[in-house]
Amino acid sequence: MKFDSVIVGGGLSGMVAGIALQKAGQSTAIISTGQNALHFFSGTFESLLSPDKRIQTLFSEAGVRLHYSPGVRLTPMGTFREAALSLEDIDLFPTPQFARKVLIVNFLGYHDFFSSFLADGLEKQGMQCRVRFLNLPELEKLEQSPSEMRSVQIARTMDRIWEKVVQEIRVLLKDEDAVVLPQVFGLQDFSVPTRIRQGIPARVIFAGTLPPSVPGIRTQILLKRRYQLLGGSYLMGDEVTRAHIHDGVVHSVVTKNLEQHYIEASHFILATGGYFSKGLVANPFQVYEPVFGLDVDFKEDRNEWYNPAFAQDQPYMHFGVKTDASLRALKDGRPLENLYAVGSVLGQTRPEFGSAAGQAILTALAAADKILGL
Amino acid sequence: MNANEFDVIIIGGGITGAGTQRDCAMRGLRTLLIERSDIATGATGRNHGLLHSGARYAVNDPESAEECIRENRILRRIAAHCVDETDGLFITLPEDDLAYQQTFVDACRRADINAEIIDPDLARRMEPSVNPELIGAVKVPDGSVDPFRLCAANMLDAKLHGGQVRLHTEVTGFIREGNTIKGVHTHNHQTGEDADYYAPVTVNACGIWGHHMAEMAGVKVGMFPAKGALLIFAHRVNNVVINRCRKPSNADILVPGDTVCIIGTTSTRIPFEECDDVAVTPDEVTLLVTEGAKLAPSLSSTRILRAYAGVRPLVSADDDPSGRNISRGIVCLDHETRDGLKGFITITGGKLMTYRLMAEIATDMVCRKLAVDKACETAVVPLPGSEEGSYEEVAKKIWEAPTMAQKAAASRMGSRARRIRTGNKRDDALICECEEVSVGEINAAIDRMDVSTLTDLRRRTRVGMGTCQGEFCACRAAGLLAKAHGCIERERADLEDFLQERWKGNFPIGWGDTLREAEYTQWVYKHVLGL
Repeated sequence: MKFDSVIVGGGLSGMVAGIALQKAGQSTAIISTGQNALHFFSGTFESLLSPDKRIQTLFSEAGVRLHYSPGVRLTPMGTFREAALSLEDIDLFPTPQFARKVLIVNFLGYHDFFSSFLADGLEKQGMQCRVRFLNLPELEKLEQSPSEMRSVQIARTMDRIWEKVVQEIRVLLKDEDAVVLPQVFGLQDFSVPTRIRQGIPARVIFAGTLPPSVPGIRTQILLKRRYQLLGGSYLMGDEVTRAHIHDGVVHSVVTKNLEQHYIEASHFILATGGYFSKGLVANPFQVYEPVFGLDVDFKEDRNEWYNPAFAQDQPYMHFGVKTDASLRALKDGRPLENLYAVGSVLGQTRPEFGSAAGQAILTALAAADKILGL
Repeated sequence: MNANEFDVIIIGGGITGAGTQRDCAMRGLRTLLIERSDIATGATGRNHGLLHSGARYAVNDPESAEECIRENRILRRIAAHCVDETDGLFITLPEDDLAYQQTFVDACRRADINAEIIDPDLARRMEPSVNPELIGAVKVPDGSVDPFRLCAANMLDAKLHGGQVRLHTEVTGFIREGNTIKGVHTHNHQTGEDADYYAPVTVNACGIWGHHMAEMAGVKVGMFPAKGALLIFAHRVNNVVINRCRKPSNADILVPGDTVCIIGTTSTRIPFEECDDVAVTPDEVTLLVTEGAKLAPSLSSTRILRAYAGVRPLVSADDDPSGRNISRGIVCLDHETRDGLKGFITITGGKLMTYRLMAEIATDMVCRKLAVDKACETAVVPLPGSEEGSYEEVAKKIWEAPTMAQKAAASRMGSRARRIRTGNKRDDALICECEEVSVGEINAAIDRMDVSTLTDLRRRTRVGMGTCQGEFCACRAAGLLAKAHGCIERERADLEDFLQERWKGNFPIGWGDTLREAEYTQWVYKHVLGL
């Protein structure tokens, strides 16, 4: 099998790189193990340098509408965090006071949406809150099994019964000018959040739940669909087992599912993520990159990996694959000619990109540009 | 009589304090237990949870060995729901002296411990995880005991006998009249309230912190803080306790407990200032993993869940730098005869295994002082939850065809699991999926077991003790606690404390899956949840 470019890792940065390259006429493949950081995406980008038109276009062509409006977002714990860019159904506010009176709606028996924390947080900002629970017979089937009341399962049901939810909220609504709902809408049917907003005579805000993130999974589905529509080959549930490198050039990789085949390409992109995604692996002695054996910037003394205070910045999160200025990955001190490292496998090494998601997108685009000779 | 007056005040909510309170309360005394933090936060909750047969001490400390085996038999009866009757092996490896085995077995028999030399092949069949290289094995009646459960059950029984408990309350000073202790000044860290309590006798049962408590009362008890580090592995690798058949040394006991197993320990003298915040060092981790793999080789590839350390309250006798040659013996001091200070006694030394005996000795002393003539019954009366046999029998008795979660609840609460609301979808919803803890069980703990924080809840229900180390169940449980206590702000801070507590046990072993989990948690809590 031969491609122009092969991308190892199917998360946000892998897909952005894949889409950009396909759009430019390349033939590419993405090798993905499955789950990725989009499954716990907050739906917002904390900061990006500018309202990059190129990013918004790339996403909107995939059906992921973003809006740029620097301000704050409401967190699931009822606090506010700065954010600049977000998915369309996730609101950004210039100030935390987004309403006078708020109705917070949860489902009876759902423990992954923190209505009491939300109410407390909003009241601290001077908003009056009322919390109500919907008792929906349609969710009863989920409740029969004690661990089924989770975001994705509920979202599947909501895709069918959202109109009924709108009706019930209209009955509950008194003089509130805003309604806060859990982000469990629009998993399969992407129009649902907008239609809910149209159906409720108050501002509707979707607040996060415990992972998995429904807007994150929807983003993943849409980006992947777009990539495949552009002709990309998304190899799902597969992983690279070997790489062939000669004279500073990556020639091919072999995967678990296609072990008889050499997957060849002129260019490779490593977008395997951080520790959670196993893009970086730590043992008691070192942090290493398992696919190509690249050079990783880390501290020798394990005592220096951690800050004993959990809430503080953790040094290990800054460890990552070393690259040259063009994002070409280093192996044994020298850049590999055709391998680019992007996203979280770089560690939190590029504060100029603002956030992990920002770093994922911007490094992916930068690598795609290099490959395309732009 | 005044509501602030009691017959006896017990300082310390570890197993010694809880056991002493139970014994005193069963003998008809009006008791108050004061604990500055939560139950079982000191050495009680920071050891192997080994139900010693006494075999470990048989050669060097026959007195302790005899105490252990007597208490071992008693605990199997009175604390059935806290005990897992696993049996134990003492294995000889090629590098050990096989001749020691006979010395060991002889000493065990002298102490009335049923130690039986078995064929190494039988040992391998009994415990498939054991190092297959073993050249000798002795079977002994070891087991495991859940110290949190044991402590909570003792305290609960004390309360059922009219005892009162003040958790998160610190003794800030003693009320003295001449050379008599009349009571204590206290400060509640959660409500901020100060209160005085009075009793003719006060018992110092503070473990290693008893050193300072005695100082505050004006007497000296020379204690020896000996830190022991342990590791919890994410699977129950072994079903039988594995010990090394040699002189007691580092990391030579592997104990299965619930869903995990625990290797330990080390023994290092530490300064008193470090007792409040003992950290496990990378060197200790390396030693524990290396030595542990000699007992069960698969440990070297098993995920480590947590590292923790406890401080043994040994009473110092000489300058032994390791602390290992000091007797684990029980020390009960009557400060009236020893120091001329009336109304104050110290109970210390000993170990988790002999807590009941320590409590009996201390309570006998209290009763003598109060001229109360009532016999101790704690060796025969089962603890609440332990009246109806093993948890499997209990679960069947309560539910006929119990679910996994109901069985898990019965293993944690024994017959008191009957009080958990269950059988409907709202109460059966799982909060902690690793340990199968339901809404009903959490609410039962909040209602009846003095839970004020998530960490308290963890000690009583195992919420957050499993593989994910509280990733999501902490948030869910925080929601229930917030509802029960009606204070969101406090709960948010509590959640932060819980995460910090968790990280403290994770970073010393921060690599592999532990680091993956930590990165994920950092990300979720900081960026997604916005804590």
